[in-house]
Order: sequence, then C-alpha cells, then structure tokens
Amino acid sequence: MAKVIEARKLAKRYKGAVEALREISFEVDENEFFIIMGPSGCGKSTLLRIIAGILDYDSGELYIKGEDMKNVPPHRRDVSMMLENFALFPHMTVYENIAFGLRMLGKDKDEIDREVRKMTRLLHIEGLEERMPNEISGGQRQRVALARALIIRPSVLLLDEPLSHVDYRLQRKFAEMLKEVHREIGGVFMLTTHDQEHGLSLADRMLIMNSGLVEQIGTPTEIYNDPQTLFAARFVGELNTFAGTVEEISPDAVWVKTEFGTFKARHPATENARDLVGRRVAYIVRPEHVRVSREDSGQDNRLSVYFNTYYYFGHFLELVFSADAQTRVKSVISANEPFTAKVGEQLTLTWPYTKATIVSKPSVVEGVDIEELIYGK
Amino acid sequence: MSTRPPKIMNYILLLPGLLVIAFFLVIPLLLTVVISFMQEFSFTNPIFTVENYIEFFTSPQTPTILANTFGMSLLASLVALLVGYPAAYFMTFRIKSIKTRNLIISLLLVPFLIDWNVRTIAWIPILGESGIVNYLLQYFNIVHQPVSLLFSRWTLIIIWLQSNLLFMIFPIYLALSRIDPDLINAARVLKSPPHRVFYEIIFKLSLPGVIVGLTFVFVNTLGDYITPSLWAGGIQVLGLSVANFAANFVWPYAATQSTVLILISLAVLVILFKIVDIKKLVE
Repeated sequence: MAKVIEARKLAKRYKGAVEALREISFEVDENEFFIIMGPSGCGKSTLLRIIAGILDYDSGELYIKGEDMKNVPPHRRDVSMMLENFALFPHMTVYENIAFGLRMLGKDKDEIDREVRKMTRLLHIEGLEERMPNEISGGQRQRVALARALIIRPSVLLLDEPLSHVDYRLQRKFAEMLKEVHREIGGVFMLTTHDQEHGLSLADRMLIMNSGLVEQIGTPTEIYNDPQTLFAARFVGELNTFAGTVEEISPDAVWVKTEFGTFKARHPATENARDLVGRRVAYIVRPEHVRVSREDSGQDNRLSVYFNTYYYFGHFLELVFSADAQTRVKSVISANEPFTAKVGEQLTLTWPYTKATIVSKPSVVEGVDIEELIYGK
Repeated sequence: MSTRPPKIMNYILLLPGLLVIAFFLVIPLLLTVVISFMQEFSFTNPIFTVENYIEFFTSPQTPTILANTFGMSLLASLVALLVGYPAAYFMTFRIKSIKTRNLIISLLLVPFLIDWNVRTIAWIPILGESGIVNYLLQYFNIVHQPVSLLFSRWTLIIIWLQSNLLFMIFPIYLALSRIDPDLINAARVLKSPPHRVFYEIIFKLSLPGVIVGLTFVFVNTLGDYITPSLWAGGIQVLGLSVANFAANFVWPYAATQSTVLILISLAVLVILFKIVDIKKLVE
C-alpha cells in the first residue's frame, strides 16, 4: 500500500530549549484513520502543525505522497486542517467560512455553491449558512469547522483535538460522524486526542506519544493487548499493575514474584522474555479479566483482597478491591452478573495467565523508574 | 468575584464628566448653531435669518476653502494610513519580544512630551533653506540651490504626519494584535497564498482599527487651522476663515462656517462608522 505520510526522525525544538518532538518516525497508509494520542504537552499538536506546514521542523524528513515537504508552504500541500478551537473566521458567515478554501483555489461560484450544499447536507448544518460563527452553538461550530477543512478534499485531513471544547454527549456524536464521513469520503484522517475512549474506538492505527517521543504505534487491539511500555498500557484502558521480578520462564509462560505472591503470565509479544529473568517488571492484567471467586476455581492466579467499593456504569460494574493499604485492584463485570459483597469482606480474585502479561519498560522517556510509575501516581 | 455596585452608582460616577462635557461642549455647540442663524450678534434683540448660510454657499471662495479643508485632512489621513499600517503590522507580527514592542510604543510617545510650539519650530532647522534636508540634498549634488521645502501643502502633510502618526498606528496595532494567530493558520491551510491571507484575514479583521485611525487623524487635522496657516504656504482652510471672522467680531458668519464644518465632519464620521462595527475593536 502506498504511504501517504512518511516521517523520518522529525524533530522540533522551541526557543527556550523545550523539545517538542524528538526524532519521531512513522508512516501513514492510504485511507487510514490515524490517531495520535498522548497527554497534553506531549507534542501531538506540534506534529500536526508540522505536517500542515504552519510550523517548521528543525531536522528529519517529512514526505507527503512521496514529495519532500521541506520549504513547501501550507497552501501548496495536499493537506487540510481543523484547528483546535475551530478558528472560524469571525468576519465571515458560515457559508463564507465553508466556501473559503474553494474560493482560494479559484473554483467558480456554481461549483462552490454545489460543494457547500453537499457539505452542509453531509454534516447536518443546513440552514445556518447566513449566520455568523458567534451566532451558532459549539456543536455547530465544530461541524462548520470540519466542513470548511473537508471541502477542499485533501489527501490528508488533520484534526487537532476536534473532540475537546464541546460537552461529552456531543463528543461522542461527533466522533461517530467523523467515522462515517471518513468511510464516505476516504483519505487519511489524522486526529489528535487525549481521550483514550475516542482514540481506541475510532482509530485504524494509533500512535501513543509522550514527551515528544513515540511510545508505541499499532492498531488499538495491539496496543491494548500487547503494550510495549507501561505508559502505553496505562494510556489505553484501565489496568491492574503489580511490580515484581521475573523468576522463571517456560516456553509459554513467565512467573513473576510480587509482594502478593507469584503470578503467572503469558510471554510479552514485544520483547524477549528470556532477557527478562531476574529483572524488575510490571505485571499487568486488564480489569475485565479479573473475576471474583469464592471457591477454588482452579485458575492460574489467585489474589486475596478486601472489597472496597463499586461504580455502576449502567451496562457494566467496576468493582474496586484492596490488596493492601496502597494497592487497589479493579474488576469489571457485566451489570447483569449477580454480585453481592459487604465492604471489607475478604474475597479471592482470579484471572487466567493467558490474559496477563509483563512489561519491562516504564516508558520510552529515559529516567522514568518502573516502580515510580506503578506506585507514584 | 466582587459584588457589583448598584447601577445608580455608575451614573453618579459619570456625572462630573458629563457635566463638564455639557457645559463646555454641548451648550457652546448649541449656542454656535443658534448664533449662526442671527443677522447680528445679539441675544437681547435677536433677528433670525438664513442669510449667513446663503452667503456661505454662494460665496465664490467657498468651494476652494472646502476643498482645501477636507482635501488636506483626507490626504493627511490617507498618508498616515499608508505609513502607519506597515508600522503597526511590523510591530505586531515581526517583533516577538513584548519588551521591544513597549519600547517602540514609548519612543512613539516621546514627541508628545515636547511642547507643541517647540515641535513646530523644530521643523525650521530640518526643512528650512539652511536646514538638514537642504544640506544633504546639496551635499549629494541633487540640487545646487537651496529649495523651499517649508511652505507647501506637502510640508503641511509631513508635519501633520509627524504629529498624528501615533493616532493611526495605535488603533491598528490594537486591532492587529487581537487577531488570533490560528485564524491566519486556518487561512494558510485552506490554500491561501500569503497576499490573500493578508487581505482576507489580516486586513479585513483590522478594519475597525483602520477606521478609528482614519477618524482620529481626520478630525484632528480638520480642527487644526494654526499648522496650515503657518506652514501650508497660505492656503485657505475653513478653520482659519472661522478664526478670521471671529477675530473681527463677525460672530454669526463665523458660527455659520463652524456649523457647516461640524456637520460635514459628523457626516464623514457617520459614514465611516457605518462601514465598520466599532464595537469589535474593544469587545
């Protein structure tokens, strides 16, 4: 498949020596919905601005459809962008905002009119054309900004935090609309978010960023199930983590000695377990694999805990237990499953070893200690 | 959040200012209009007539005076815009350090710390026949005789430019610095080449500042009859004519000319402010 975006060792340093990007490399394929996820300040917005051409990079290479982008101004790139805060032109009507890109490309009035009508229909913003941006709601502004960026049919559409700045219900609605629009129109959609739920549910592939570095690139399931670093594992979904030392390995399993006993896990997919014997690692298991059992169920891993509290989410229930004073262990069960326990009741948690794994690297950022990452925050 | 003072308090705070404006501006202006309709200046036995206005609009000198007055002010405003806009643009987009920007603003303010008379007389050693400019022109063999630079319409424009430029730069700078840089970025990614980014986004969004600047310079120069009488080589402007008639105690005719001057300026202001929503500059 043809690569639409190729970034090789892209680096950017702001004045005052803040390193925004530290030699980032990745590729994006045709028609991919590519999501860049990371905490605020990790450099994801910088990366998008560099691809758009509104920010220069210091070193490295950037190719869009095979063409070197060094010194190519934004108006000569086959890229469009929906900026954070939408940046609608306040002195233009909604119609003029959406039509802007085509007008700049020198399209004739009839074509612009036709395309604007197509966009307003696609994004359900008909009837707002004559309003000014400050006369429409936040959700409408969001869709107008998308229409304005999309109308020039770029090969790459960059969306900088498009889901922030509106309330949660609208976020979800807009996320679903984005996925449908992507299916309909195609091209590369490249979106930044700090929200793991949107990231996981929308992405074909995602890139987890941290302090200007790539923690992991992969499909949502790859990152969710086989994280390369504890940071990446933590960033998508809930996680139970125990610090421990690798004691023993067999061809299909590893044993990790923790302060709560020795736990069994499958081999990590992204590193060689043989090298990890004797090393401090994070033993991880997702809450949906942890079950409460009152009798001996013959599972591989058992942990004695006290019931602490629960959170009800309608379709599922999150149970929180204490393994000791500091360590909380979570289990997620369907809300239909019967569960009763008194606060402080002693219970046994079990999980199959095939659903647990180990991670030896806390993060790609140097100087982060794995124990600190497990217990610190 | 602090509690808001009651509304009546706001009006009480405004009162001293409003009283000053009423007594020293509004009432005198109304009196001027009343006097402009008098045959002779007399409040005890007034005879009202439109004779003064007929005389003004039929006088053969009037078209020249009006053209001079409004023409020179308009020209001064446009020249100030042409010089001031690039300066404001440079300050906003090219100077990144706030300190440097503040320094430039302070430097622009320096002339206003100098007395008007001194500022005016200071032009003689600059533009006079033995002044700096003539010296340089002769030194580089551009001219062989000293040229008269002091008494012409362009002298007036230069002097007005110097004393009014800040009033043009500042509102434009204010308008430009309020433009969200991401609006410029949005235009760039939406395929605008640089000159269209400037026109479609930067210039259009700075229009309120441009209008305010034009208004400041226009009104300022329109009311100034001393500078034209000193430097403009004897051209007649309406303000000067008002001063002459007033000096000779022909109050009603002076009042008529004043009224016409004020009405035309008001009309210009109304038109300018119709073009641009001035609230956008301060909201």
